[in-house]
Amino acid sequence: MRKSFVTNNIKLKEFDALIRITVEMSKYLYPYIREILKSKEDIEENSVIWNDFNKRFIELIKERFNIDSMRVKKLLNQAENDEIIIKSLLILSFCISNQGYQKLKNFLYDF
Amino acid sequence: MQNKFSFHQSSASLEIIGLPDYSDNENEDQISIISQWKLTIVDKPLIEGKIEHLGPIMDAFYIYSNLLLKNEIPIYESKLIDIKADNLHIHNVVLKSSKPNVKPLVLKIGNSLLSDTINCFDQLNESPKVKIKKTDMPTNIPKKLRFGLKKKVKFFNFFIPPFIAICSLILFSSSFIYLYSPFENIEKKEQINPE
Repeated sequence: MRKSFVTNNIKLKEFDALIRITVEMSKYLYPYIREILKSKEDIEENSVIWNDFNKRFIELIKERFNIDSMRVKKLLNQAENDEIIIKSLLILSFCISNQGYQKLKNFLYDF
Repeated sequence: MQNKFSFHQSSASLEIIGLPDYSDNENEDQISIISQWKLTIVDKPLIEGKIEHLGPIMDAFYIYSNLLLKNEIPIYESKLIDIKADNLHIHNVVLKSSKPNVKPLVLKIGNSLLSDTINCFDQLNESPKVKIKKTDMPTNIPKKLRFGLKKKVKFFNFFIPPFIAICSLILFSSSFIYLYSPFENIEKKEQINPE
């Protein structure tokens, strides 16, 4: 899905390391993740945070992902990407405990 | 004197009050015998109950959050608590009282409050100071999920024994390659039929 000329398969150690980094980042960013989720709950009253986040998310996808891929096109489609984004944010917000690494790993294997 | 521990996460706070189990040589600052618990969510009524209610309520939230993420129908029903999704952002929590003639308490919580509550439960689970003895309560986990779990177990039970058997046969038979010498056989045949 990434914009890359080389297709490298991720190694198990790298996968583990990425999960650990993600969990640590979500611990740090939990207040922001929470505010984004909250903003979507009452979108009529507080749409600014969600709109800013969504705009930046799409910008980053266009910048770093291969936009010719069907899966990436799905991420860019605003009608379809809401559910994917919310579920991803929920997964991150559920994994901020000390056992977050194991939880995130389980979520990813089950996905 | 009873011990009291609080677990906070943004808009949710869980308070556990109880005593250590001295018969199990526990420290004075631990809790094993929970006498009271309170879950406070900002702008929502206070949730409190007996010790036997805490485990099932925690399980309900964990199972529901898993259903929500796995694209299953997010419905959890039990004698004590029902959780259903209004939409992707709002969840309906119905807490049923064990006392007769008491109306169930209905709460509408968003994703932010759901994640706060689950993080409070996570903190409680990971706390070395509080031990929870979980009680079994009948639950109505959607059949689809139960079937999925059973199917996985059945699949592995069905698949693994023949797989191990085939692997062991291959390993066992491959060891005979060292005993079999095709050149000797050809020589013997030549000796029997010299042409």
